[in-house]
Formats: sequence, structure tokens, C-alpha cells
Amino acid sequence: MHGAHSTLEIFVDTTVYRPDQPDAGTSPAVRARALTKLYGRGEGTVRALDGVDVDFAAGRFTAIMGPSGSGKSTLMHLLAGLDTASSGQAFIGDTDVTQLNDNELTGLRRDRVGFVFQSFNLLPMFTAEQNITLPVTLAGAKVDAATKEWLGTLVETLGLSERLAHRPSELSGGQQQRVAIARALIARPEVVFADEPTGNLDSRSGAEVLSFLRRSVRELGRTIIMVTHDPAAAAYADRVVLIADGRIAGDIADPTPESVLAGLDALRTFESTAQGTQSQVAGR
Amino acid sequence: MIRITLAQMRRSVGRLTAAGIAIVIGTAFVAATLLAGDVLKRASYDSVAAAYADATLAVVVTDPYSAPESLTAEEVDALGDVDGVQAVAGRQNAYLTLGSGTSQVFQPAIGVGPDPALQPLTVTEGRFPGSAVEVALPASTLELLNASVGGTVEQQVETFVPDPDDEDGGEWVSSTQDLTVTGVVDDPYGAFATQGGAAVLTDEALEETLEHNNDSEKIFSTVLVLAEPGADVAQVRAAVEAEVADGYEVLTKDEAAASAISSLTSGANVLTSVILGFAAISLLVAALVISNTFQVLVAQRTRVLALLRCVGATKAQLRASVALEALILGIVSSVAGFVLGAGLVQVALVVVGRMDVGIPVPGTIAVTVASLLWPVLIGTAVTVVASLVPARAATRVAPLAALRPADAPALTGRAGKLRGAASLLLVVGGTVALVGALLLSRRGGGNVEIALVIGIAGGAVSFVGILLGAVFWLPGVVSRIGAVLARSGVSARLAAANTGRNPRRTAATSTALLIGVTLVAMMSVGAATARTSLTGTLDDTYPVDVSIGSQTWDETEERNAALPAATLAEVDELDGVAHVTRLESTDADLVVGESETTATVRGVSAADAADAVRASELFSELDDDTILLPWNVGYGEITDGATVTVTGPDGERELTVREVDVPGYAALVTPATLAALDTSTVVDHAWVRLVDLDATTDTVTDIRGVFSDTAVEISGAAVERATMQEIIDTFLAVIVGLLAIAVIIALIGVANTLALSVIERRRESATLRAIGLSRRQLRATLAVEGMLIAGVGALLGVLLGLVYGWLGSVIALGTFADVTLTVPWRDLTLVLVVALAAGLAASVLPARTAARTSPVEALAVE
Repeated sequence: MHGAHSTLEIFVDTTVYRPDQPDAGTSPAVRARALTKLYGRGEGTVRALDGVDVDFAAGRFTAIMGPSGSGKSTLMHLLAGLDTASSGQAFIGDTDVTQLNDNELTGLRRDRVGFVFQSFNLLPMFTAEQNITLPVTLAGAKVDAATKEWLGTLVETLGLSERLAHRPSELSGGQQQRVAIARALIARPEVVFADEPTGNLDSRSGAEVLSFLRRSVRELGRTIIMVTHDPAAAAYADRVVLIADGRIAGDIADPTPESVLAGLDALRTFESTAQGTQSQVAGR
Repeated sequence: MIRITLAQMRRSVGRLTAAGIAIVIGTAFVAATLLAGDVLKRASYDSVAAAYADATLAVVVTDPYSAPESLTAEEVDALGDVDGVQAVAGRQNAYLTLGSGTSQVFQPAIGVGPDPALQPLTVTEGRFPGSAVEVALPASTLELLNASVGGTVEQQVETFVPDPDDEDGGEWVSSTQDLTVTGVVDDPYGAFATQGGAAVLTDEALEETLEHNNDSEKIFSTVLVLAEPGADVAQVRAAVEAEVADGYEVLTKDEAAASAISSLTSGANVLTSVILGFAAISLLVAALVISNTFQVLVAQRTRVLALLRCVGATKAQLRASVALEALILGIVSSVAGFVLGAGLVQVALVVVGRMDVGIPVPGTIAVTVASLLWPVLIGTAVTVVASLVPARAATRVAPLAALRPADAPALTGRAGKLRGAASLLLVVGGTVALVGALLLSRRGGGNVEIALVIGIAGGAVSFVGILLGAVFWLPGVVSRIGAVLARSGVSARLAAANTGRNPRRTAATSTALLIGVTLVAMMSVGAATARTSLTGTLDDTYPVDVSIGSQTWDETEERNAALPAATLAEVDELDGVAHVTRLESTDADLVVGESETTATVRGVSAADAADAVRASELFSELDDDTILLPWNVGYGEITDGATVTVTGPDGERELTVREVDVPGYAALVTPATLAALDTSTVVDHAWVRLVDLDATTDTVTDIRGVFSDTAVEISGAAVERATMQEIIDTFLAVIVGLLAIAVIIALIGVANTLALSVIERRRESATLRAIGLSRRQLRATLAVEGMLIAGVGALLGVLLGLVYGWLGSVIALGTFADVTLTVPWRDLTLVLVVALAAGLAASVLPARTAARTSPVEALAVE
């Protein structure tokens, strides 16, 4: 295992600092420290996440990539406080989410984290506008002037102005996902987690959604962490973190579809070479 | 296909169980009613049959009008000589007045009889009497008389002594006779249970007692015949039949008991039918719950159903699969319901058996084919019928649905035009019938019953129409009320939006509750209206709230004894008593021209009398020269303004008649006038005015308590009202109790609907949790949703109940009372509060399930 790890050392910790975004990268928005998640007990224990250390810079669009079962979704769940870690720490800003109880986590998700889901997950009985402002409503706050202005900015950026009074069933998939993005951004969260945001979309809508995500980072200064298995989608990000077998397996700065594919290829090689060791682990 | 059905049922076992409970309760209701009816019949049959002891045959009067004369002692003896007859016993019941010390018991008695086999009673201690001065008594009587075996009791005998000089031809003389107690008798099958057991005398002593009590010829209404062992019953029967007169019939013991009981149990049958009516309402509600559940099950299985269609299942197969599922659920639930119902009746029997109710109760229920089959058949049929609409929905699933993304199935459920038309037709038709009934009852006369029948039919038809149409208007009401609630916070807003998502299901769930609540509200409005309307009528009939009359005869003065002054003072002191007016009286002759009548004349001052009654102007004309006469004293012959000569024991007065509605069958004069008629009157009557006529029951009870040791007659509006109130309240309690079962089933429906919603909205709940809804808020959402569905159902039910209750009251009571429409606010508020609380309670379990949903599930892709 150690040997396999060391062959990929070159990829690790190559965070790119961008001169054109002065505030970027000064302090990481999200951090994981020795983050571990075990499923099951005894013989059947599965290490979904195995001591992951990773930083995600603020004001960046980071993609987490990896084959299915690699632990990329688990990593996101733990970082976002959706699931509890077996050991290790996950920070959003300076808050260790692994130390929060359910109510504190709920508050954290409501005020400091945004989510974009693969299946959009809009509430069918509410209009697009009601869906977008839901996190504000949940906090028990009135939609004030500042929020309204921000809503206007989001709606304009996402091209939803004509669609605010429609219910989700009257919107296309791409429009629904844009509503979901607006919902994720409305509370100005410190970080937005997007889980396969293009998984249910055709390629054109997918491209549209991805460029919106990128624009919201570049123009609106948001921080986005996106889980995906699509190299083309990952190429929209500023950085790609590769994950395999519950460990960080690589890091690509300024990815292009080609460099991501190359990274994935390397990962596959890694996987095939690691297979022997994996069976050893299971046998232990 | 059956395997697939069973597999699907296994997957939805929780849902099916919840729906099944509705059927279990409904079926248990039916089963318990049938079984309890059987038990009642059996208990009375046993009791009746016990009176025939081990008789082979019984000679009974079948037609009391055509029977020329009763069987005489000779005729009875003649039956004893018929071939094959071992013994005959003429059944006579005498009544003994037994005393011992200060206690007295009125006791039915029978003879020892010629043969032990014809004796329904058994001796548990000592022996049957052997001579005319001996008696065997039930243990309870011995206890009352404080006597024991070997001791003596006194029998009071009234003897008529003829006296040619007496104008009545003789005189009744009381005497006593000592009887020795020879044994304790037991009535193992309750032949005399309703009369408190029976004493046993020798046949001679019994005849003597009968002769004392009744100078007419001894008669036998029933003769028991015991055949010789081994004799052919049919032959003996024919021989006995040849011997008896027309109008008598010879029956076997079983036939006799069955015929005696048929008249007794027809009342019980009516009761059973009425209760079954309520069971039907429960089952109707259960059907709504079942239908709802299956609709959701079908919606949840859209993908599976579509997949089945893709791989070649026909529509008919899918429909059959759903129907089969309903059939299995129906049978299992109905059988469980039957077991539950039978268990409840059995438990009740054990409890009743432990308490000493005097009537022997069967120890176990007897399950007949009918009492098993009917509940199971009905329960199963209701389940299957309720599943038909959802089954049709299953066939509408397109095979293509299997390929669509797995989004929650959108059940927009457009209600059909046919349904709308039918609903409108029923509502309009029913309303027309109701209005017609209303007009008919206004015209009075003998039309009330017809009006009632039309009214009930119209009410039922329009209610069915309203229920059918509920899907059109009920969701609108829910969303309006929800919109108001939504302002109170995010949970309420989510809840309000959620109830609007599936209008048909919300409507059906609310409707299930609406049925029960409407009926409960209708009954309670009807009862309240009847109460106020009838008491209004009573107030007119009885101007005095409570009237107390002495019932003790003063032998020496030959008048009613005075009411004890101390006791009346106690009444004065009672809470709730406003005024006590004391009246003295005498008997006087009233003569106007040719007509003469005797009446009780009471003395009271106009002022004192006015304090006693609510309509004080009644007595304004009373002065020393007037006599107030109620119509029933003068019988219309002594009319207003006439001058009447009133003659009392000590004097005579000429008085002017004023006809008024004064209470009681007595004329009223001033105390001065009374003194002129009779110089030695006492206070033997009192009128009591109560502070608050609406709280009469307690005060009347208190007054009764004060007079517990004095023989008085207590009557008046308040007493009537208290009695009536008790009857109405009992009636209402029973009906509400029966309807409560339907309401409980409906609440199970609410819980079920919420639980299903939670499952359907699993991902939504997770999404909400992921974007910041707290567990508490999620639980609150479900709570508000439950209360909204239940509350709207209850609110609309209360409103409908008000309308129906009022209409029913006007139709039923309009002819003999001024109907004052009354809203029983307390009861109706209670109904609403209970419904809201139940809606809240129904949300607890589903809300817990929902709150357990991990936010991670929002990310899951099916």
C-alpha cells in the first residue's frame, strides 16, 4: 500500500495560487484532517475513507473525482456535515463539523453550506422563487432588501427571471438545476457542495450549469466543491482532487479534459497495481 | 402472478397492517354486535326455558282473546290421566308479602308441584316445605329478612270479610301468619331472575294464598306435562292436544321457550340492527381508509407495475393482482377482527359474570356460522370493493413509466365529471327532500312520521352527495386554512403546501373523519335543541319548578300529614333553591248551579305565589273573593267569571272563578279564604323555585335527598327536565360512543396517510434536512399537516352536523314544541379539540420516521 502511494506522490499538494484573485487561497474554506469513515464491523469492515488530509481553498471551484466506490461521495458527506465521521476532523472555516450535534449541524447547513443535488431536489409544491428563498425562510428570516438584491443578481446571472413563478414540473432539467444553484447560493454560504450536478442533464444543459457554477465562483466569489465522475465536467473546475480507495490519489491544477483523463488513467494503473495489496488488506 | 403479489405485500407489510387495522376494528364491531346479540338471546332463552324445568310438554295460551276460558283445576287433573303422562303441574304464580321485624319483602311464590322434574328451583340447603306453614326461600330474601333455615317469617294475609251492612259489601282485613323456613332455594337458570327469585310453598298453601288474594276462580295459564319415561312424545302430545280446549296449544319445552322469547327478543333484534347500522358507518370509513392506502401503494409501485407491463403482464393481471392483495388483506384483517370482537364479548361476559347482575349470563360466547361468516364476509367485501378504484389505477400505468426517471409519481388525480354530476344531483335532490320534509312537518297533523322518513332519506342522500363531491371542494378549504396558517412559520407553510399536493388523498382522509364528526355533531346539536325546545314546552306546562306534596296519610285527622317544617327549612337552605312557598289545603265541594265537583283547595297569598313561579302575573287576580281554577278542575263546566259556592269542613264562601294555568290539580284561594273553609289546615304542599333552570339535576337530587325519609311526591318542570336530560344524555352518550369507533378508524386513516406521505417524501425530507430544516421543524411540519387534515375534517363535520342537526330537530320536534335552535358550544369545541389532538397524535409516529431520515438520502439517486 505504501509503495503504491508513493508512486503518486508527485500529484499531492499542488494547490495553485492564482494571482488574479487576491483573496483566494489565503485560508482554506474547507479542510479534512485524518478523516476516516468505516462502514460495518469486524471482518466486514469497509474503509470508505482512510485518513484523508485535504484543503479546499476559498473562492475556488474544486472538483473531486474518482471511480465509483472510491469514497468521493463519502468525503463530501463528511465535509458537509451530512454524515458522521468515524475519526479525524473536517473543518468548514474554523468549525470542526465532526464535533457538532444535530441541531448545530442543521444550523451550519442552513447558514454556511449550500447543496446542489444530482436530482435537483426541488420541492414540487413551491414555485422556483419559493424554492430559491427556502433556506432564508427556514432560518425564520424575512426576505429583506439585501436578500432581494442578491436574489436579483442570482436570478439574472442564472437566467431565471422569466421562470420565477413556475413550479419545478414546468421547468426543464437545466432550469431546475439552475434554480437549485440559486437556492444553494441564496444564503451566501461559505461553501457550496455539488453532487454530480450534471448527472441528470443532457450535455448542453450540463455545460450551461457548469459554466454557471464557474461564473458564481469567478464573478460572485463563491467557493464550490463538486463531486463528479465526468472529466469534461471536472475540467470546468480550478482544481481536481482525485480519490481512490478512500485516499487522496492525486491533484490536478487548472485541469483540462485531457489532463483529467490522464490523471484518471494514472489512477486506473494505480488501481490495477493496487489490487494485490487491496486483497491483502481484506485478508488481514 | 400470485408470487409477485405476495412479494409485493411482504414489501408493504407495514402499510397494509396500518390499513388492515381499520378493517379489523370495523369487523370487530360487527362481530361483537352479532355475538352480543346472540348472548342476549341465549340468556333470555335459558331464563325462559328454565321456568319449564324438565317438562316434556307445555300447554300454553297461544291466543288469549280466543281462549274461551282458562284451564280449571279439574281440567289440569284430567291431563294427568292421559296415557303416557307421568305428572302435570298447573303453573300459578302467587305473591307473598313476607315480613320479619321491620323489613318487608314482596315475593313471587310457586308450589312444590307433583314431581321434582317439573320444579324449576332446587334446594341448596334444608328441604322443600312439607306443610302449609312452611316455606323455602331464596338466599337473597332470607338475607333481606334477616332470617335463616329453621327460623320463621311472617306472611301478611289480606282477607275479605263479607259484611252485608257495609256499603262495599265487606271489608279487607289484614292478618299475619308465621311460616317456618325449611330450606334455601336456588334458581340455577334464572327462571325468576327478573323477579328477584321465587319462594316455594306447598301446593295447598299456594292455593290458599291465591284464594286469599283473589276471590275469582283459580286459573292456570300454563300447564307443564311430564311424560312417562320411554313414552312416545308425539303420541303423548297428540293425546294431550285432544284433551285441551281451543286457544291452547301443546308445545314441547323448546318450542314453548322459543315462542315465549320471540316476543321478548324482537326488541333486542331492533337494537342489534341499530348497532349494526353504526357498524356499517365504521366500515364505510374503513373502506375510505383502505381505498386511500391502496391508491398510495399503487402510486409507490408505479415502476414495478410498469416493469411488469414491460415484461408482458396484462392489464387484467395487474388489476387481479391488486384485487388479490385486497382479498388477502381483507380475509386476514376480518378474521383478526372477528377474533378481536369475540374476545371483547368474551371478556365482557367474564366481567359481567363476576358482577352479580341477578340474571344468569352464559359463561362463554357461542360462535355460530352466521356470527363468524357475516363479519368476515362483510369485512373482506368492503376491503375488496375499496381496492377496485386503485386497482383500475394500476392498470393505467404505462409500460413506459418503467423507463422514466424515478421521480415521485405525480398523482394529480383529476376527478371525473361523472362524479361531479352525481354529487351535484344527490346534494340537490337530498336538499329538495329535506326542504319538502320541513314544509310537511310544519303543516303538522299525522305527517310528522312521513316527514321524518323523507327528511332522513333526504339528509342521507345529500350527505352522500357532499361526500362524493368532497374531492372538488375540500382541498380548497384545506388550502385556504393552510394559507392562513402558513404565515405562522416555515413548518406550517411546508405543511400547508404538502396537503395541497395530493388533493384526492387529502380529501379522502379528511372525509373519513368528516363522516364520524358530522354524525356526532348532528346528534349533539339535535340533543341540545331537543333539550331546550322540550324544556321550553315543559316550562309552559309546569309553571312551578319543583312541587312537593305530602304522601303520608294522617289517620286521626283524615288528611295528608304536614310536611315537616325542619325539612322544608332544609330545602330553603339548599344551593340552587331561590324560594320555597308553603301551601296549606283542604278538600271542598265546588257548586255552580247544577254542576258540582270536589277539589283540593290550596291557600296561598298572591305575593308568595308569585315568588314561586316564573310567570308571576298568573296570580295577580288572586284576592280574598276569588278562586283560581285550573281548567282540569272545572272541566270547562265552571267557567271564568262564574260565582262558585265553595263548601269546606268548617265553612262556606261564595267566590268568583278565575280560570288560570296554575300548577297541579288544585284550586287556589288566599290563606284568609282557606281559613274560612277549614280551621285546621297544615302545610302539606310546597312550591320551590330554583335559581337556575339549566342546572336542575343536582338541585333536584339534593331535594330528593332532603326528603329521603319522608313520603312525598316531587314533581314539576325541573324534575321532568332533570329526568328528560338524563334520558337525552344517556342516549347521546351511547350514540356518540358507537360513532366514536368510526372516528377512531378515521384517525387511523389520518396516521396512515401521514405515514405514506412520509415515505413518499423521503427524499424531500432529506433535502429539507440538508438545506437546513431542523428535526424539530420537520416533526412540526408533520404535526401541522396532521392537525390540518383532521381539523378541517372536524370543522366541516361540525358545520354539517349543525345544519343536519337543526333540520332534523325542526322536522322531528316542530309539531309539539317551539324549536329553539341551540348550539352546544362546549360539545362542539370538545369535538374540534379532540380531532386536533388526535391529528397531532396521529402525526407522532410518522414524524419520528421522517425525522430519522438522514440528509444524505437527499443525494441518493434511486
